[in-house]
Amino acid sequence: MGIFGNFLKKFLKSLFKKKGEIKLGLYGPPNGGKTTLANKISMDWLGEEVGIVSGIAHETREIQIKEQITIKSKGKELTFNLVDTPGIATKIDYEDFLKAGIKEKEAKTRAKEATKGVIDAIKWLDDMDAVVIVLDGTKDPYSQVNITIIGNLEARKIPVLIVANKIDLKKADIKKVQAAFPQYDVIGISAKYGKNIEDFYEALFKITNQ
Amino acid sequence: MPHQCVRCGKLYEDASEEILKGCSCGAKMFYFIRKEKLKQIQEQQEKEKLTLQEKEEIEKEVYDLIGDNIDMDKPVILDIESIEILKPGKYQLDLVKLFKAKEPLIYKLEDGKYMVDIVESFKKMGRKAK
Repeated sequence: MGIFGNFLKKFLKSLFKKKGEIKLGLYGPPNGGKTTLANKISMDWLGEEVGIVSGIAHETREIQIKEQITIKSKGKELTFNLVDTPGIATKIDYEDFLKAGIKEKEAKTRAKEATKGVIDAIKWLDDMDAVVIVLDGTKDPYSQVNITIIGNLEARKIPVLIVANKIDLKKADIKKVQAAFPQYDVIGISAKYGKNIEDFYEALFKITNQ
Repeated sequence: MPHQCVRCGKLYEDASEEILKGCSCGAKMFYFIRKEKLKQIQEQQEKEKLTLQEKEEIEKEVYDLIGDNIDMDKPVILDIESIEILKPGKYQLDLVKLFKAKEPLIYKLEDGKYMVDIVESFKKMGRKAK
């Protein structure tokens, strides 16, 4: 499909899009806290969780969707389908899971599923109307994964909000994340403890043009 | 000889009958090897030899990764591109290439660095088979 075709597709998509069909994707490297944030959002507004959270990377290996989440802030309302995605990585090694105490057979299966998860997450990217990149605020933001994801979102003209998660930890450095991606809004939160979550919700209205 | 059996490592010339019918060892999955990469792959093979069991595991992993829409009886050609399976359970992903593809067609396997271009391969195989 050419440029015109893409434009037509987007135009038709927006024309027939019903209220509440905004797809909001949570993307990022493994263990950044995507599912923790998805759970926080879903708990706050639906009263139920999205997925399991663990300290071992690649806990989420399948796309998980929570439909029709409506958030309210300052008299405004925003309804979206929340898409929690598997962490995107350049290298998946079952030996890393062995170190976390998982048995060999299970570790290899986990590695395979995680690889498939990366492919699925990337496949879904084109369907997103807006994306929240969830980064571990204690880690170096200048990674190949982060830069590749953000660059591809930019190329696809998908609105992006960057979240520097885990600001409850001393090592977290929001300024470093902001310095790495100066052209984007960066919000520091703790998804686990709900710190600064109001600002995050407010920012969602902005990236979804509501 | 741009095709190599995933299971036994035997090399076949382009358009060999075995690529359509399956390798003499019974496997029906092949790597497509670019000519310029062939030497590099052979050198790599010398360095890190995989056991037959590992090769079989990798073959199974690729089938699992490709998904359900694969006819196990038809040959599959693997191209060298975006996902590399170094050993069973060890994957290396080329994100730039994965993001580029509309559909990530290409998975990568053992013996160094290989990937699968399923859809295109099947189309080509289908045409050749007729």
